[in-house]
Amino acid sequence: MTSHPIIKRLDITRFRGIEHLEWRPANGVNVMVGGGDSGKSTVLHAIALLFSPTNAVQILETDYFNRRSDEGFSIEATVELPDEIGLANLQQTFWPWTWDGQAGVIPDADASGGQETPVYRLRVRGTSELDLAWEVVQPNDEVVALPVSLRRRVGVVRLTNDDRNDRDLRLVAGSALDRLLSNGNLKSRISQKISEVDIDAALQEGETEALRELDSKLQKAGLPHDLALGLTSSQGLSIGALIGLLASRDDVMLPLASWGAGTRRMSSLEIAGSTEAATRLTIIDEIERGLEPYRLRQLIVKLDEGGGQCFVTTHSPVAVAAAGRGVSALWYVDIKAKIGSLPREAIENQQKRDPETFLAKLPVIAEGITEVGFLRRIFQTAFAAQPEFLGIRVCDGGGNDTMLGLLEALRDAGLTLGAFCDDEGRFSGRWKAISEALGPRFFQWPKGCLEENVIKHIADKNLMALARDPDGASGRRLRTLAVRLDIAEKDETSILKACGAPEMRFARLRSVIIAAATGDTEGAPNDEAKKEWKSHSREWFKSLQGGSELVDKAVQLKAWPKIETDILPFINGLRAAFGQPALALGALRP
Amino acid sequence: MPLVLIEAPAGCGKTHQGAIFAAETAARNKRGRLLILTHTHAARSVFAGRTKSGSVSIRTIDSFLTEIATAYHAALDLPLDVGRWARESGGYDDVARRCRQFLEGSSMVASMLADRHPWIVCDEHQDASEDQHRAIMAIHSAGARVRVFGDPMQMIFAKTEKEIQRNLKRWEDLKARGVWGELEHPHRWHPHSPELGEWVLQARHILRDGGSIDLTGRLPRGLAVHIAENSAPIPRNSMSMTAEHRAPINALTRRDRSLLVLASGNERVEHLNGFFGRSMPIWEGHTRDHLTALITCVRSASGDVGTISDGLLDFVYATTARFSASSHGNRLKAQIENGCSKRARGATVHLQVMARHLIDEPDHRGIAKVLLKLTELVRAKEEGFAEVALDLKSEIREAIQIGRFLNADEGFAEVSRRRSFTHPKPAPRSLSTVHKSKGLECDHALMMLCDKQSFSNSLYKRRVFYVGISRAKKALALVISRNDPVPFLSM
Repeated sequence: MTSHPIIKRLDITRFRGIEHLEWRPANGVNVMVGGGDSGKSTVLHAIALLFSPTNAVQILETDYFNRRSDEGFSIEATVELPDEIGLANLQQTFWPWTWDGQAGVIPDADASGGQETPVYRLRVRGTSELDLAWEVVQPNDEVVALPVSLRRRVGVVRLTNDDRNDRDLRLVAGSALDRLLSNGNLKSRISQKISEVDIDAALQEGETEALRELDSKLQKAGLPHDLALGLTSSQGLSIGALIGLLASRDDVMLPLASWGAGTRRMSSLEIAGSTEAATRLTIIDEIERGLEPYRLRQLIVKLDEGGGQCFVTTHSPVAVAAAGRGVSALWYVDIKAKIGSLPREAIENQQKRDPETFLAKLPVIAEGITEVGFLRRIFQTAFAAQPEFLGIRVCDGGGNDTMLGLLEALRDAGLTLGAFCDDEGRFSGRWKAISEALGPRFFQWPKGCLEENVIKHIADKNLMALARDPDGASGRRLRTLAVRLDIAEKDETSILKACGAPEMRFARLRSVIIAAATGDTEGAPNDEAKKEWKSHSREWFKSLQGGSELVDKAVQLKAWPKIETDILPFINGLRAAFGQPALALGALRP
Repeated sequence: MPLVLIEAPAGCGKTHQGAIFAAETAARNKRGRLLILTHTHAARSVFAGRTKSGSVSIRTIDSFLTEIATAYHAALDLPLDVGRWARESGGYDDVARRCRQFLEGSSMVASMLADRHPWIVCDEHQDASEDQHRAIMAIHSAGARVRVFGDPMQMIFAKTEKEIQRNLKRWEDLKARGVWGELEHPHRWHPHSPELGEWVLQARHILRDGGSIDLTGRLPRGLAVHIAENSAPIPRNSMSMTAEHRAPINALTRRDRSLLVLASGNERVEHLNGFFGRSMPIWEGHTRDHLTALITCVRSASGDVGTISDGLLDFVYATTARFSASSHGNRLKAQIENGCSKRARGATVHLQVMARHLIDEPDHRGIAKVLLKLTELVRAKEEGFAEVALDLKSEIREAIQIGRFLNADEGFAEVSRRRSFTHPKPAPRSLSTVHKSKGLECDHALMMLCDKQSFSNSLYKRRVFYVGISRAKKALALVISRNDPVPFLSM
């Protein structure tokens, strides 16, 4: 038996921008990312509407998909409910369905002892008359009313991205504060108390006189008299809405609602957190709103530890990274409001290393740091605007195998993405599937790595120029070559000489440079040497600057046209994703 | 979870105890609702009258199981409207069996019910079928506390010895499983005839233990024994007595303004009806066997006038006297067959009108018109109908009511529903089978005829006898045969 309400499955049909959605969220914290207008907030709104603590909810034609109110909308949640919700005390019997991992189904008469999870199908329908109908679907498909009391018991705590929202800081029916404090007739006791206040005492002489004159006029006209001023309620305004939390600031009592957005939101959550945990569902739109990174991290840890089910949207890399350190599930909502799972085991490292991967409009996953530097340099000329303004982000995929898992997860979640990688000859079937899914936005060297594919185009006479770093110093790189050639001297002449007979000298030099630039350990005499040889790559291009330098070297050393031929279709594929026309050969040159 | 078993002889305050227990438990209990399960609507209303708490649900076990079956009809392979199906086809046993299997198989639903009803009080549990019993035990296993009231000596709905023995064993097993107690104060007789109450309780022990009740010594105040014999030429077909034997019975029927005359079995009640010259109505209880058969016939006939007329005639034969195939039925059928084409005279004119109704509307509406006509003819003592007696008036009245509905099944359901909620009571002086008197109490009862034909020496008949003698609060009279003596009575 669960200790808190859990939405096991959500089905939304024709609500706002969502034509159809079928989603099985995680039991704990669900963090949703995805571009603007993708429907993340609509999903949150749908859940809040389903568990609305009041029937007085107004809906508009625009709440219907394509504004077609005649076809209605429906939001249905298959939920597991804890005992504390008190279904047993309701007049109406709600009969459970059993959860089969995908949906609530009719229990099997022959389940004999097997563990069954009882779930209930709750839904709200928008009718063609713009009315709302809250319903429970019974296992015989009979539909009975979903009482407002049950919705209040589930108690959705909702922090919207609306600045004015301070509902949970007031005694509004079903608000967090109401649920925490109200014990029976609190609101009528407050009304009673307020009505005892002698407001007439505030009247001044002239005002009292005016009231007295009115009194006698009314009396003469045979109307009610003996007048006094006092509290009168009006339609649509409850006493509860006027009563909220005050807190002391510099000895003045101020409404908590007048504090900053972050403080208001954190306070609301604290109030909700003080109510029975068993009856809580938390919804937070734009969790980062009003919070500094450290408070945001605190909040995410708190939600994770709270144990209840939460639905959170975010555009913040801090939030995505913080969620990666906990146990939250990350979801990607695409433009058609399809919600794709980003399985933790495939993305966890990326989530911590580069959380913006999941927030970019077009993440391009590159094999390693060199490739990231290389592509960033090229992107400076590949797009009209700065790539980071466009929403294109080159991310370090952390190596060939890791990147494959990540690409698959992102592809399955429905992200639009690019990939730039080597072919290391493993998992060829899976790579092929990625290549097919990404089309021209997928780039893979037919053979070898980036360094190899650039260096192979450098003319013999220019090979030694590769050793010069952007500052013109070449000592450190030449030393790696000398080590590999097993000579003490590390000047260019000695190295060239050590490369053997003149006719094969440059071929040998090229392969030694490639070996050093890629940290190849083949031929290292012992383990110690192996370790050192491996680190040679860092002296060459294995860094952000190194990747960038590779582009510049290719241009300076006249190898660029060949490389451009290789990668232009890829670049044009990325441009197409932003609706930009293809570049002709030569236009990419930095 | 606790299981409490209370053996409750008739008239010992079982309902009172159950209602007090329910009210107190419900008041203490913050969660869910206590559930009282009865076997009849009559018992349900008695509990409802005594238990005003909002957190108590009182249901007949049939309706409780039907509700479960309705929610999960697809899993139980039953039609959508299980209640209607069960009512119309008499499928309550089937519903109980499937529910039992379902609750034993899916502990989830049993748990949910145990959560909703943390306490279950079972009334008259000796009448629970094996499936009903096991369905409740499945909810008990899932966490509901169960308090069972029952009396194995009032087990008169299980008829075969084997069935009774099995149910007795079930009762003993329950005793072994839970806490057991017995009510022993005969409250029913306390204000008027405490001696009679003690005697009934003793008689119960003797009947239970297979002994013989001694009627030779001093009888308790409130009990009278009269000797009489059935002098009818064929005792199985009717009842008559010599004036001498009849005198004390006549004295009783003249003296007591309220009197319940009890007999074992429908046939004996019919014979007594003739014996008393139809001076007392027959108490028809809360079920309508003949009407149920009639509606089943209407459904299967689907407009076939031959089938309809056969069903109607069987119904009339069973609910009236002196209306038989030879006296009326065959002539009515002949009229239908020749399409009322021949000119008729006398009583045949009336039969022709009836036949016309059936030909025009060969369904429940035609039937209702025929029965209405018949009632009018009998009341007006019209030619050919002056002798006819309407015995089971409720059956006939309800058949006429169903004629007002467009659909026979809907009409039957609605009429049955109204009967469940209006709780008809027997007239102050009436004639009833022991079975239909179960659950009732009265001031004066007369049980006749106590002969071997009615009461052989079986577990079943001993129980019927016990239920019969435990109805009267003030005075009980037994009319006993010497020639064909009841084996368990000694004179």
